Amino acid sequence: MDEFQEILQDFLVEAFELVEKLDEDLVELESTPEDLELLNGIFRVAHTIKGASSFLNFDVLTHLTHHMEDVLNKARHGELIITPDVMDVVLESIDLMKSLLSIIRDTSSDAGVDVSECVVRLDKISGGDGDVPTPVASAPIIEATLDEPEEAKEEEDEPDYDNMSDDDVEAEIQRLLEQRQEEDKAKRAAKVAAGEEVLAPPPDPDEEAPSEPAKASKPEKKPEPKAEPIKAPVPRASTKAKSMNDDEGLDAKAAAPAKRTNNTVDQTIRVDVKRLDHLMNLIGELVLAKNRLIKINDDVEERYEGEEFLEELNQVVSIVSLVTTDLQIAVMKTRMLPIGKVFNKFPRMIRDLSRELNKKIELTIKGEETELDKSIVEEIGDPLVHIIRNSCDHGIETPEVRLANGKNETGTISLKAYNEGNQIVIQIDDDGKGLNAEILKSKALEKGLISEKEADNMGEKEAFMLIMKPGFSMAAAVTNVSGRGVGMDVVKTNIEKVNGIIDIESETGIGSSVKLKIPLTLAIIQALLVGVQEEAYAIPLSSVLETVRISKDEIYTVESRSVMRLRDDVLSLVHIGDIFEVERILDSSEHAYVVVLGLGAQKLGLIVDSLVGQEEIVIKSLGEYLKGIEGIAGATIRGDGGVTLIVDVVALMDIAKNVKATSMISDQKSESALSREKTKASDYTIMIVDDSKTDRMIMRKSLEATGMSLVEATDGQEALNILKQGDHHFDAMLIDIEMPRMDGYTLATEIKKYNRYKTMPLIAVTSRTGKSDRMRGVESGMVEYITKPYSADYLSSVVQRNVNFKSEFLS
Amino acid sequence: MSDKLKQVLSKQSKQQQNESIDQSDDIVQLVGFIIGEEEYAIPILSIQEIIKPFTWTRVPQVPKYVMGVFNLRGAVIPLIDLRLKFGLSEKKHSDETRFIVMKDRDDVAGFVIDRLTMAIRIKKGNIGPAPDTVNGDNTMIDGVGKQEDKIITILKVNKLLERDF
Repeated sequence: MDEFQEILQDFLVEAFELVEKLDEDLVELESTPEDLELLNGIFRVAHTIKGASSFLNFDVLTHLTHHMEDVLNKARHGELIITPDVMDVVLESIDLMKSLLSIIRDTSSDAGVDVSECVVRLDKISGGDGDVPTPVASAPIIEATLDEPEEAKEEEDEPDYDNMSDDDVEAEIQRLLEQRQEEDKAKRAAKVAAGEEVLAPPPDPDEEAPSEPAKASKPEKKPEPKAEPIKAPVPRASTKAKSMNDDEGLDAKAAAPAKRTNNTVDQTIRVDVKRLDHLMNLIGELVLAKNRLIKINDDVEERYEGEEFLEELNQVVSIVSLVTTDLQIAVMKTRMLPIGKVFNKFPRMIRDLSRELNKKIELTIKGEETELDKSIVEEIGDPLVHIIRNSCDHGIETPEVRLANGKNETGTISLKAYNEGNQIVIQIDDDGKGLNAEILKSKALEKGLISEKEADNMGEKEAFMLIMKPGFSMAAAVTNVSGRGVGMDVVKTNIEKVNGIIDIESETGIGSSVKLKIPLTLAIIQALLVGVQEEAYAIPLSSVLETVRISKDEIYTVESRSVMRLRDDVLSLVHIGDIFEVERILDSSEHAYVVVLGLGAQKLGLIVDSLVGQEEIVIKSLGEYLKGIEGIAGATIRGDGGVTLIVDVVALMDIAKNVKATSMISDQKSESALSREKTKASDYTIMIVDDSKTDRMIMRKSLEATGMSLVEATDGQEALNILKQGDHHFDAMLIDIEMPRMDGYTLATEIKKYNRYKTMPLIAVTSRTGKSDRMRGVESGMVEYITKPYSADYLSSVVQRNVNFKSEFLS
Repeated sequence: MSDKLKQVLSKQSKQQQNESIDQSDDIVQLVGFIIGEEEYAIPILSIQEIIKPFTWTRVPQVPKYVMGVFNLRGAVIPLIDLRLKFGLSEKKHSDETRFIVMKDRDDVAGFVIDRLTMAIRIKKGNIGPAPDTVNGDNTMIDGVGKQEDKIITILKVNKLLERDF
């Protein structure tokens, strides 16, 4: 049974592919009914499916395909003209085939679909009387094997194969083949002799006979005699067509889908997607390691500048990074599927729709070989269906209207896919009546989707995007095709799910064009890293339009929203810190950066403190515990091993609507709260920063008498760390200028960056007396300058003055 | 002689079996740790690893006890402060602070604890149910382990790893 399952799986994969192809080819055939080559190809495909399904004992499927094959065969011989009506029935039978295949996939049996009606119609078309008994679906193979030998005997009087040795079987096969060939010859002779018209599908010994002669005899037996007697003389079916057919049978056995150009067989293997996913994960890890290596290399370069080994290290790092990038692309390619897989179903859809809507629509497809990641291909199928349905229903006018407007009676929808940088663009154009921004707006108003004010401020592009809103519909009545106002919403959701962007352009009367811009892959993306305070965030580069450096007075507040002028537009702004609740510890500088995000027609300026750079990042999920955080799409691991969150631009746009403008100038409130009431001398805390132990001692001694609390630090770095920890609240600092690691000036500059220490007095205690030194001290924010040597009283009084020391505490 | 040997061997193996049954059946191995003043414990098998604190990244829009996420050898893992989760005040990390990485099936998270105590072997019989007041499905307490001089609260790892916001 396992073996059976395996065969069944292969059969299903192949059959689904073939049916897809049938669909496509049949529609093409309708427009070029004389294309014999195409017709032959279709016939072969149908035949292959029939053969394989009979081999697996799917009688209902075999029965159906057989009758379809009959019709096709007649057409092939020119005895039947393929009219749209005939095509309807054939296409209907293809649909039935699809549902049968789905049922087989789910239940391993082909019961449950009633094909009899369709078969009757097929039979009538092919000239039968429509009296066709339906076979009972045979589920498991066991039952089938039981009656096989019997049937086999009926037809060929074959010996019992089960008891034969291998050699004997070989010999028997040989004998059978020869016998068949004889028969074929005889038949061909008969055909030439009698010119009479009867159809008989050529027996296909090559396909099944070699492996299992007993079974091969079965499919032909059951349905055929009822439709047409098999031994009857056959018309002028060309020998050429027949031999091709036999070739095809062999090809099909090698699991290569029947192709019209069947001279090259693709060298492929089927791989479980899970393995590719795993491979992709590993590559992701490698990319992270590569980023890390590059960072370390940079650090090393800085530290050991000019050393010889650096060059070697550099070489290795660049090779590793190069190979990693190549490897990543190569693995990505293994996951790529041609977009044609999705496009294939559209010719059929357009055909059905145009008949249903009584419009004349032609579909042109370009770039179906463009490749996309498998997971994305799966996501874009539905959106495309909805967009195309929309174009057919709302875009393309009826032939009469088109003629009246001086257009070609037949409307054209063109479906294009092409690469553009790191993205794939799928473009759907129609030459219909186009979108009218004003009508769209009034419709949206009517349905209460937007307010009057919004409508007034809406640009043309934004108005076009209204069709993507859930609940929006232009159709006056709900029809079979559209009008429920759901479809285009699906488009938006699905495209955004794959980080894609939708762009709509339209000109009234000329047509409209929808562009879907989709990233090549989902797992690894290019991102812009931005900094806010001490945090960093990654923004997918695909949604970044540009970055601008602005000064703070370029930001205006309109109705409690921040906005700025960007060339001729007004751009609404939001501070990334307001969205992600970032604490404003550091004072932001006079300038800020605005990252202009674009999503379709929507634009938003995101204010950040700094731009860190562009980096290739691997998207990792935050896991079950933290899933669904608004505005965060995931996380990535950076070169330094830290985690950086990835911004979800779609959600961010939504959040931004509800964020009120916050002044860029920091709140003074928090600071005043910090300077608490002093009730005793030890409430005053002073930090002493000096690298010399003696100097610290002298200062300590000078201040001890006042009773203030004293904290010591040996250099600037340590002082800064103590401040950051926030264990104490300092009232003043005594800072030496010359210190290792971080000198006094740098320390003072750093301290002034913190809002809460902005007003803290910094007192320089130094032996540097030069004028320029004093100037530098003032520049970096020092309020007093005490030169060594000094008297203990002087130091104490300076400190007391600066912290407003209350004299009553002095004992 | 060989019969005797067999007897001895079979006896030994029986004893061994009995012992192993004893161990797996009656003894629970726990790891104890301190949060605030209390000692808590979780089953040793639900601990993936115990690490010293290192940098993490804050995550917005979560309760305060979710400190953020950190990188554990390439995996992004949430970090939860048990002090805050248990309603205690925030405390600076010290030398004794540890991250305990716990797992329950596919769920993994790091938990900040004040300090580790020790690995505890405790008889099942010495574990009582959680006090009635905190009983029910929603409690994080699995039971109370009695030792000679103290009692230890045993926590439910799956409850700790459950998102409750």
